[in-house]
Amino acid sequence: MKIVRHLAPALVAGLFWAVPLGAQDSTGVIAGKVVDQTTQQPLANVEVAVPGTPLRDLSKNDGTFRLTGVHAGAQRLRATRIGYGSQFQAVTVTAGGASTVELSLVPAAAILEPVVVTGYGTQRREAITGSVSTVNADAANKGVTTNVDQMISGRAAGVDITADNGEPGAGRQVLIRGGSSIGVGGATNDPLYVVDGVPINNVPTEPQAMGVFGDPMLARNPLNLLNPADISSITVLKDAAATAIYGSRASNGVILIETKRGQTSGGPTFEYDGYVATASPAKYLDLLSSAEYVQYVRQQVAAGNLSDSALIHLGILVKTGPNPGDTSRVISNTDWDRAITRTSVTHNHNLAFSGGSEATRYRASMNYAKEEGVTLSTGLERIQGRLTATHSDLNGRLRIGVNVTTSRVNDTYLTYENQGGFQGGVFQNVVVYNPTLPITMTDSLGTHYYDPAGSVHNPVAMANQLIDIGHTTRTLGNASADFDVTPGLTARVNVGLDHSSGDRQEYYPNASPVGRSLGNGLAQQQNLDNATQTIQTQLTYQRQVGEGTSLDVVGGYEYSKFKSNWVQAEGIGFFTDAYGFNNLSAATTRNANDSAYEFRLASFFGRANVGFKDRYFLTGVVRYDGSSKFAVGHKWGLFPALSASWRLSQEKFLQGGPFSDLRLRLGWGLQGNPGVNPYTSQITLTSGSGATYPWGDVPHGGVIANSNGNPNLKWEQTSQVNGAVDFGLLSNRLSGSVEYYVKNTKDLLLTIDVPQPALAPQQLINVGKLHSSGVELSLDAVLVSHPGLVWRSGVVFAAERSKVTELATSTGFTTGAVSGQGQSGQNAERIFPGSPLGTFFGPVFLGVDNTGKQVFFCTSATTGCDTTAGPGNGRTTTGLAPNATDYRELGNANPDFTVGFHNQVTWGKFDISFLVRASVGAKVFNNTALVYSAKANAAHNENFLRPALTDPTGINEPAIFSSRWIESGTFARLQNITVSYDLDLPLLTRSARSARLYVSADNLVLLTGYSGLDPEVFSGTGTAVRGIDYLTYPRPRTITGGLRLMF
Amino acid sequence: MKRFLVKASIGAAGVLALLVPLQGCTDLAETPPSLISTSNFFTNEAEVLAALAGVYAQLRTTAPEGPLYDAIEMTTDEMVEPIRGPDWNDNGQWIDLHNMTWTPTSIATSNFFNPIWNNPYAGIARANLFLSAVQNTTFANKASIIAEVRALRAFYYYLLMDFFGGVPIVTTTEVAKHPRNTRREVFDFVEKELIAARDSGLPATRPVEDNGRFTQGGADAILANMYLNAGVFTKDGAAGGISATTYNSCAGVLVSGGVDACLAADSAATRLLNSPYYRLADSFPQNFRADNYKSPENIFVVKFIAADGLGLDYAMAILHYNQYAPLTPWNGFAVQAQTYRAFDSTGTPPDKRRNVILVGQQRDVLTGALVNDRSGSPLIFTVTIDSIRKATEATGARVYKWPVDPNHVSWNSGNDFAWFRLGEMYLIKAEVENELGNPATALQLLNALRARRDTVAPPLPAVSRPVILRERLFELLGEGKRRQDLIRFGQYTGRVDDPSLAGGKTARPDYYVLMPVPQSQIDANPRLCQNPGYGTGTCP
Repeated sequence: MKIVRHLAPALVAGLFWAVPLGAQDSTGVIAGKVVDQTTQQPLANVEVAVPGTPLRDLSKNDGTFRLTGVHAGAQRLRATRIGYGSQFQAVTVTAGGASTVELSLVPAAAILEPVVVTGYGTQRREAITGSVSTVNADAANKGVTTNVDQMISGRAAGVDITADNGEPGAGRQVLIRGGSSIGVGGATNDPLYVVDGVPINNVPTEPQAMGVFGDPMLARNPLNLLNPADISSITVLKDAAATAIYGSRASNGVILIETKRGQTSGGPTFEYDGYVATASPAKYLDLLSSAEYVQYVRQQVAAGNLSDSALIHLGILVKTGPNPGDTSRVISNTDWDRAITRTSVTHNHNLAFSGGSEATRYRASMNYAKEEGVTLSTGLERIQGRLTATHSDLNGRLRIGVNVTTSRVNDTYLTYENQGGFQGGVFQNVVVYNPTLPITMTDSLGTHYYDPAGSVHNPVAMANQLIDIGHTTRTLGNASADFDVTPGLTARVNVGLDHSSGDRQEYYPNASPVGRSLGNGLAQQQNLDNATQTIQTQLTYQRQVGEGTSLDVVGGYEYSKFKSNWVQAEGIGFFTDAYGFNNLSAATTRNANDSAYEFRLASFFGRANVGFKDRYFLTGVVRYDGSSKFAVGHKWGLFPALSASWRLSQEKFLQGGPFSDLRLRLGWGLQGNPGVNPYTSQITLTSGSGATYPWGDVPHGGVIANSNGNPNLKWEQTSQVNGAVDFGLLSNRLSGSVEYYVKNTKDLLLTIDVPQPALAPQQLINVGKLHSSGVELSLDAVLVSHPGLVWRSGVVFAAERSKVTELATSTGFTTGAVSGQGQSGQNAERIFPGSPLGTFFGPVFLGVDNTGKQVFFCTSATTGCDTTAGPGNGRTTTGLAPNATDYRELGNANPDFTVGFHNQVTWGKFDISFLVRASVGAKVFNNTALVYSAKANAAHNENFLRPALTDPTGINEPAIFSSRWIESGTFARLQNITVSYDLDLPLLTRSARSARLYVSADNLVLLTGYSGLDPEVFSGTGTAVRGIDYLTYPRPRTITGGLRLMF
Repeated sequence: MKRFLVKASIGAAGVLALLVPLQGCTDLAETPPSLISTSNFFTNEAEVLAALAGVYAQLRTTAPEGPLYDAIEMTTDEMVEPIRGPDWNDNGQWIDLHNMTWTPTSIATSNFFNPIWNNPYAGIARANLFLSAVQNTTFANKASIIAEVRALRAFYYYLLMDFFGGVPIVTTTEVAKHPRNTRREVFDFVEKELIAARDSGLPATRPVEDNGRFTQGGADAILANMYLNAGVFTKDGAAGGISATTYNSCAGVLVSGGVDACLAADSAATRLLNSPYYRLADSFPQNFRADNYKSPENIFVVKFIAADGLGLDYAMAILHYNQYAPLTPWNGFAVQAQTYRAFDSTGTPPDKRRNVILVGQQRDVLTGALVNDRSGSPLIFTVTIDSIRKATEATGARVYKWPVDPNHVSWNSGNDFAWFRLGEMYLIKAEVENELGNPATALQLLNALRARRDTVAPPLPAVSRPVILRERLFELLGEGKRRQDLIRFGQYTGRVDDPSLAGGKTARPDYYVLMPVPQSQIDANPRLCQNPGYGTGTCP
C-alpha cells in the first residue's frame, strides 16, 4: 500500500498541468421567467443552469433570470429549486441573439435540495447511489432548536436522536442505523460530523465536573457553538457506499452540515429572527406530600414497624418564647420537586445580512441566545458570530471562500448525579428529602436554609449554594480555494481549524454542609484546550459526454492533527466563602493535575461516479486511512465501496406508467471505527496518587503501568450492504423510498478481562462480531395543492434488529451498573452472543408474598429455592434475589420500530407544521422507581415514591433489581407544533420583504404507559448501555413566540 | 496584460499551495506527552524508585477497607454487614459473603474474590515488569532494590495462595494464559523468594525516612506465618487434605531444607523476638493510632498518610453517619455479639483490648460530643444484632481499632495497617511451641503479651489450642488474621452465627476453606481449573 501513498500525490500534481484552456465560441443569451405551476406565482431562487457548463443564474423575486454567454445551438436548460421537481427544457440559442423561455415548476412532495452534499463534493440527487437523507433548513424542525441535532430529529429515517436529558444544551446520543460498535468508553457510536467540509472532532469542549455525588453530570453538546439559524442543510450519510469516502471514521454514519452562504439575488438582505420561549417541566416526580408522609409515619409507628423516634423527626422544633421549653413542632409542606423547578424564560435573537456582487458575496450573522433551565441554577448563554465570504476571479475560474464561526457559550450547572451511590446530588435529595421540612428557617442567626449536616441535604440549598459554571470559546474556521484548471477539472485546497477552550469553575462553600464535608470549602478550576487542524487537497474532474452521460471523479489527500491539553487546580479548606473559586492560594490544601494527548490521521481518497444515459449510475470509492492510535504495523487501513443505481423511470417500458420516478439502488462498502484513545497500543506508565507511596510518611511519587498495551490493535471494520427503491408517483406528488440494509462488524474494539498476572485487569483488543439489519421507509406527499392551500405530509419509519454474534468469552459480560444506595455491584444488562446490545438481564420477579417479601423465579439447583410448585416453577424463599444462575433475559432497550410524522399546511397567510415522533417496543429500566420505592426510607426519615404506598411490598424490603422494574418504553410524542402567520402590516411591509409571526409548542403531548418522567432516557455510561432511567433532569414543555423579518 | 499576470500568479500560488501539503505528513508514530513509555524509563535510581513506589502502592488494595480485607472479616465471626433499611443490601453481596453461600459466579465472587484475584496479580505484574526492565540497567543499590521487589512479589503470591490455593506462578511480562500451579508449588516459590530476598539484599533495618520499606524482618514474619499455616497452605483444599473440622498442624510438614514447618516457624519467629529492631509497643493502642509508624512492634505494614487518595478510610465503613463530622461515614460493618462477649471470659473487668469496640451511647470521634441518630434520638450501638436483614442505623457494635487521624484530609487518615507486628510473633511462637510439646514456653509467651501496658489482662493459668485461638482473637481482632486462624483450627466452614442473629450463617460444606476461582477469570484464561466442590472444570 506504500506505493499508493506516493503515487496519489504524484497523480494529483500531474493533473494540474494537463489540459490547456479552450477558446471561447460565439454565444447568445437566454432570458426568462419561472412560475409555480399550481399557483402561477413567480418563483424566486430557482437555479437555472445549462448542465455541463458553469452557466447558472438564480431567479429574482419576480421569477426572472438571465444567462449570458451560452453557446449557440441547441441547449438543454435545467431549472431546480428546493421543494420542486427539476424541470428540463430545450432551447435553441443563436449567436448574438436572445431566447426567451417560460418555465413552470411542479411542487414535489419532499422539500429537498436538488443538489446533495456527499462529502468532498456534491452530486445531483438523481445521480446518488448510496443511502443519503437530507433535511433542508426550510423544512427542518421548528420551535426552540438550540442545537443542530434537534433540527433533524424525527426527520430522517434510521437516525435516532435522544437528548441526554432536559438540560439546556444537553448532549445527545445520535445513533445512525443503530450504531455499529459495542463502544469503548461509551461515545464511539457517535457519527462523524463534517461542517462545511471539515470533519469535527466531536469531543466535549468543557472539562467534566468533579462529580462529588457519583459520576459527574454529562457533557453538554459540543456542537452548541453552531446556531441553527445559520444552517442551510444537513445531510446524513447512512450506508457504507455513501460514507466510505470518510473511511475509518465513518462506520457509525456521517452528518454533513452546510451553513448558509451569501446570496446576491434581489440585492443585499437583512434578516432578524427573534423569539421568546417559556418552559416548565413536562412532568413531576410522584412523591408523597407532607400530609401523606406524616400519615404514613404515624400509621407505621402505630403498627410497630417504625420506632417512636420517627415521630419527632416530622417537621422541626421552633422556639416560641424565651424559656427553654417554649417550643412547638412545625410541620412544613414542601414539594421539593416544585421547589427546585421553575417556569423558565428563554430568548434568542439572530441578525444576519448578506449581499455582494456577482464576484464577491458575503453573509454575516450574530446570535444571542439565553436559555434558562427548568431547574434552579441551570442555563446556557450563547453569543455567536459567523462570517462567510466567497470571491471568484479569473473569469470565475478561481473561487475563494472563507467561513468563520466563533462562539462563547456560558453554562451554568446544577450538581446532580447520573449514576448515584450513597450520597446523591440535587435530584436524589429531591426524592428523599423529608417533605415536612422547610426550605428556609429563621432563628437567632437570621433567615437561612434549613440544612443540617448529614447524608441528606436540602436540594434547594444545594442548587443555590453549590456553584458550578463553565465557559467555552470555540472557533471553527475554514478557508478554501477552487481553481478550474481546465473546463471540468477543478483543484481544491481546504484548510480548517477547530479550536476550543473550555473552562469549568466549581465552588462548594462552607455555608453548605456539602462544602464543609469536603474539607471546609472546596474550589476547583479546570481548563480544556482542544485544537484540530485539517488540510485537504483534492482534484475533481467532471465531464458531461453527450446526452445524460457523465463522469465525475474526485481524488485527494487529507491530514488532520488533534491536540488536547487539560489542566485542573483544586483548593480545599477556606476560611471564607468570599473568594469562591477565584483565590485558590487561600486554601490550606492545593492539588493540581494535567494531561495532554495528540493523534493524527492521514488519508488518501478517491471516488468515481459514472452515469450513462441518465439511467445507470455507478460509484466506486476508495479511502486509505492511517491513524496514529493503532499499533505499529496496523495503522493503515483500506476502505472501498461500490454502488449502483438504475433509474427505471427513464426506461421506455415504464414511460407513461404510474411512476414519475423509479430508481433501484444497491451498494456495498467497508468502513472503520478508530474510536479508541491514543496510546492504547502501548504499555504506558502513569503517575498520580495510585502510583504514590509514602515511605517514612513522605509521599514518593511513583509510576505504574496503566495499560497492558496491545501490539496488534487495529481498526474495527463494518461492512454494509444496502438495497433501496426510490419512487415518485403522480408527478412526484407522492414520493418515497424503501431501504434494506445488512451490517456486519468484525474485529470489534472491546476491553476484555485478560489472564493474570497483567498490569491492568483488562485490555483493549479486536474481538467479536455484531450483526444488524433493518428496514427504513420514508414517504412524502403533497396531500392538497390548491392556490391558497398546500398540505405536505411525510412519514419516516425505521426498524432494526441487531445482535452480538461473537464475543471473546462465552459467558458475555455484564454492563449497565444499577444506581442508588444499596445497589453496589449490581448490573442491569448483559452483552451476550445471540442477544442485541441493551439486553436487560436479572432476576425474574414473580410477585410479593403475604409477608411482604419479594419472590423471584429460581431453579432447584440453587439454595433457598422452593420448588414445591413443580419443576420450572421455583420461587425464592430467602427474601433476596436468586443466584446469578437464575437470572434471565428481561427484554431489551431497542425499539421494534420508530416513526416520525411531519406535516406542513400552508393556508393563505398561515403556515401550520407539526411533528409527531413515536417509538414502539423498547424497554426501559426504571432505576428511579427501583431505588425510591423502598418504604424503608421512612425509617431514615426520607421520602419515597407515592405508588409504593399502595403496593404490598413490606416496609423492610430492600430494593432488588428485577424484571419488576423493566417497563415498556413505547411512546408517541407531539414533538412540536408551530403556527406562523405572514404579517401584512403596512408599517412593516413598506420596507420589509417579508415578516412572519409564529407561535410554537414543544413536547406538548406525550402518550406513554411508562411510569417514570420520560421514556426517552439517557442510555447510561459504560459499555453499550441503553435504556436506563435514573433521576434525570426533567424535560421541559416549551411555548415559543417569535418574529422573523427580512428586509 | 498586467492584470492577466496578476491573476496568473494568484493561480500559480494557489496551485503551489495545493502541492506543498502533499509532501506532508504520513508519519503516524506516537509519543505520549503526559505518559511514559517503558522503553525510555528505568534509567537511573530516581526512576527506579518511582517504579518501586508503584509496586508498593498496590499494597493499599490489600488493606482496610478493601475487597481483600472485607472478605477476610465478613466471612468470619468478627464482622457482619446487616441490611440497614434501604442501605447496605448491595445486591446481597455482604450476606453472600458472610453466610458463605458464594459460587464461582455469585455476587461475592464478582465483587470481592475477583478483585482479590486481580489486585495482587497487578502487583505481581508491576514487579515482573520492574524486574525485567532493570535487567540491563545500572543504578545504585540495585541488589537491595531487586530483593525488595522480589519480596513484595512474594507477598502478593502469599495472599493469592491463602485465598485460592494454587495459582499460576508467572515471572515474565507477557499477557498469556498460564495453567495453575499447585498450592505446594506456590508455597515453595514464595518461601524460596523470601529467603533469597532476606539473605541477598534486604537490609536488617531501615532509616526512619524509609519506614515502610521491606526489611529482613518482613520476610521472616511472612515466613513464620506461612510455616505456622503449612498444614493448610501446602494442601489443595479440603479434598487435598485440609481438615475443615480439626486442627491443621504444621507438625510433620517439611519445608525448605527438609525442616519441619513448626520448627521453621519457631526459628523465624524467634529471630524476630530476639531482634534488636523490634519490641512490644508501650501500649496496645499505640499500634493503631495515626502516629503508629512510631510503634516498635511494626514489622511489615501498609503505609497510609493523611493525604488525598493515600489515607486509610476504615473509619468511614464502621462509624455512624453523625459520628465523624463534617464527614458522613457509611455506618456499615458491625461486630457480632458472640465475638464481643468472648472477651467476658477473661474476667472482670474484661481484657482491656476490648476497648477497641464501640458500643452503647456514641460520641463524635473527634470532639467527643454526644451524638444522636438521624431521628434525633441518642445514638446507642446495640451489642446484639437481631436480624441480618432488618437492622437499624444503631444496630451492632463496631471495631474501632484505628482511630481517625486528627489531621485527616477528608476521609484519609494516616494510620498504617500492620500485616505483621511483633504481637503476632509471640502468638505464632506460642502456638508452635505448644505443638512441639512445650506448653510452658507457650504460656510464658502468651502472658508476656498480656502483660503489655494497656493490655491489662490477668495471666493465663494454662495453655491449650482453644486458649491460643481465643488469645489470637483478642490480640488481632479486625487485623485480617481470623480467616487463616479459623481454617487452621478447623472452625471456618463449621462456624455458626450467634443464635440471636436471625438469618445468619449456618455450617457450610468443607470445600469452602478455599475460595472459588472466579468464573470471569476462567473465562479470560480457560487453562485455569476450578477448586473442588465449586462445580465443573475441577483441577485434575
